[in-house]
Amino acid sequence: MIDWSPVLLSLRVGLSALVVIFVLGTLAARAMTRRHFPGKDVVDGLLVLPLVLPPVVTGFLLLVLLGRNGPVGRFLEGAFGVRLLFTLHAAVLAAVVVAFPLMYQSAKAAFQSVDTRLEDAARTLGAGEARVFLTVTLPLAWPGLVAGTVLSFARSLGEFGATVMVAGNIPGETTTVPLAIFFLADAGDLRAAGIYALVISALSMAMVVALNVWTRRRRPGWMRR
Amino acid sequence: MRFRPPFLLVLALVSCRDRAPAPRVTLTVAAAASLYEVVTELDSLYRTEHPDVAVRATFGASGALRQQIEQGAPVDVFISASERHVDALQRAGMVDPRSRRVFAGNELVVVARMSAATGIYSFQDLALPQVQRVALGAPASVPAGEYAEQVLRSLGIAEAVARKAVYAQNVRQVLAYVERGQVDAGIVYLTDVRAVRGVWVVATAPPASHAPITYPLVLVSRSPHHEDARAYAAFLLGPRGREVLARRGFSLP
Amino acid sequence: MLTVRARKRLPHFTLEVDFAVRDEILVLFGPSGAGKTMTLRMIAGLERPDGGEIRLGERVLYAREPRAWVPPRARRCGFVFQDAALFPHLDVSRNVLYGASDGAAEARERLGGLLGRFRIAHLADRWPSQLSGGEVQRVALARALMADPDVLLLDEPFSSLDAEARLAAQDVVLQAHETWRIPFVFVTHDRAEAERMGDRMLFLREGRQVDGPEVPGRGD
Repeated sequence: MIDWSPVLLSLRVGLSALVVIFVLGTLAARAMTRRHFPGKDVVDGLLVLPLVLPPVVTGFLLLVLLGRNGPVGRFLEGAFGVRLLFTLHAAVLAAVVVAFPLMYQSAKAAFQSVDTRLEDAARTLGAGEARVFLTVTLPLAWPGLVAGTVLSFARSLGEFGATVMVAGNIPGETTTVPLAIFFLADAGDLRAAGIYALVISALSMAMVVALNVWTRRRRPGWMRR
Repeated sequence: MRFRPPFLLVLALVSCRDRAPAPRVTLTVAAAASLYEVVTELDSLYRTEHPDVAVRATFGASGALRQQIEQGAPVDVFISASERHVDALQRAGMVDPRSRRVFAGNELVVVARMSAATGIYSFQDLALPQVQRVALGAPASVPAGEYAEQVLRSLGIAEAVARKAVYAQNVRQVLAYVERGQVDAGIVYLTDVRAVRGVWVVATAPPASHAPITYPLVLVSRSPHHEDARAYAAFLLGPRGREVLARRGFSLP
Repeated sequence: MLTVRARKRLPHFTLEVDFAVRDEILVLFGPSGAGKTMTLRMIAGLERPDGGEIRLGERVLYAREPRAWVPPRARRCGFVFQDAALFPHLDVSRNVLYGASDGAAEARERLGGLLGRFRIAHLADRWPSQLSGGEVQRVALARALMADPDVLLLDEPFSSLDAEARLAAQDVVLQAHETWRIPFVFVTHDRAEAERMGDRMLFLREGRQVDGPEVPGRGD
């Protein structure tokens, strides 16, 4: 019947990438909204770069970085004996790189929308920076962070160009749904491609709906005006 | 949280791995996308005969596969859809020239819709006035298109057909145009036709009219599994390989 | 006793203040943009001065020579902001409890007393968005005092209230000072309010204290 491995692989990649993206995106956005240092705009531009590059270009750059002669590839192989190319980890990395800017931008906007006086108030009430972040900044920025999560999850689920370059298209190991759809359509099996497309659409929708409902439940009193 | 159970289930599903017995060695073969069915079938045959060797295959555009090999992706055997990419790897010293063989060949054919009475019985007939549109791959980017051009040129009808040509990004598109009746005929590989119902082969190009369409197979120099890769390649090139190739419409070297 | 000697370069002028506050209400009075809010923020540790020394009792909160800096969370400076800055995602109780450092049970007890004192007990489960201007400031006051500060800073807390609510709010602060005999530094640009609230008054214009540090006010 239908081979579910692309769906499971996509879920693994998507969920793993999601965790990494959420943490990195939130921390990066937090650092960038609070600190000022020379070259800050350049760093910001670099962090957003994958958003404007065609995924295949990003994939090629990653391929060179992770490859035998690339700085990251050489380090990983020398220090840990690890080769990332053609593994699912590479697919996760590709998804993270490509979807990170979405989370980062959303988180930045969310943090900037939090009134700094509220954070100041918390400090004068004895809260250390960690407590201020966890009890004031994060809850108030939460809707924006959720939006960023949804965007980046959807993006990583649909990731193709960069994934195929660094993870390859190995059925059962790295062939995620977008790869399966592309190569099946290319081979003429439109029916199978269509089924995968439906499944991935249903999954994405389910995630969006679930997150929206969950967010609404967490914030009853103060958000309903 | 009411969403916990489904989430956990998803997490459990997602962390499952195959519990197959660990093989002694895992080979990686990079093959052109058009060889998907052939290689997949041969790989499972190989696994039953050699349970201690696992073969995993990655499929894609030959150009992309070559770049991955160049950047050090762990590939043991490379089967390309064009000689050009193997030549480049050979020049860079990344593949073993002595291992280079021709794995398979292909033929160029004219296809038309079954139900249409187009009056096309040969490549030559493409130049006839009643044939209004012909689909082929864009010669600059699609190998099949390049070969098509060679055939048309050798038959002296290149300009005539160019005037009515509809260029496609890939062979799938060519077939789709033919299927939907948007063109009168299309030029594709013989093996592509098998994927589609509703079109039939009108004519096959004579081998002399174009450069040979070959799929070279070569071993990657840096592979740590030379002996196993050699054995696997021998299997692909041997009688079983030829039998599967023939069955799927490829021509044999 | 709070002693403040601080200097800070600002876009349009250099702010220089030098004053001391005993257990009284000192009013910082002056036109908008004079540096009054900045002074309060420096005392609280939310802004860093360029030079000087800020001392609360025995503790040096800030000094340039020798270098000293106590972060805001450790300064025990209560702060009532201009628009209260109540946490919109917490109800009134949790807002007030935010700065409490004692255990849960003790804090709850004190909470009841404090809410009663400021006559906001009936608002305990409301959200900040549901409160009126006067109620908001009373909650902010309760929240700041709940944290048991050694000095209370109030930054034009009543500027958005109408005349009647303003008088009532001023009474609340005056009564609070009867109980919490700690230095209060009260910022306003309203003359009448300044004269009503202050035991002493300090006039600030473009970052400079006009008239010396001891200006006769209400207490005289």
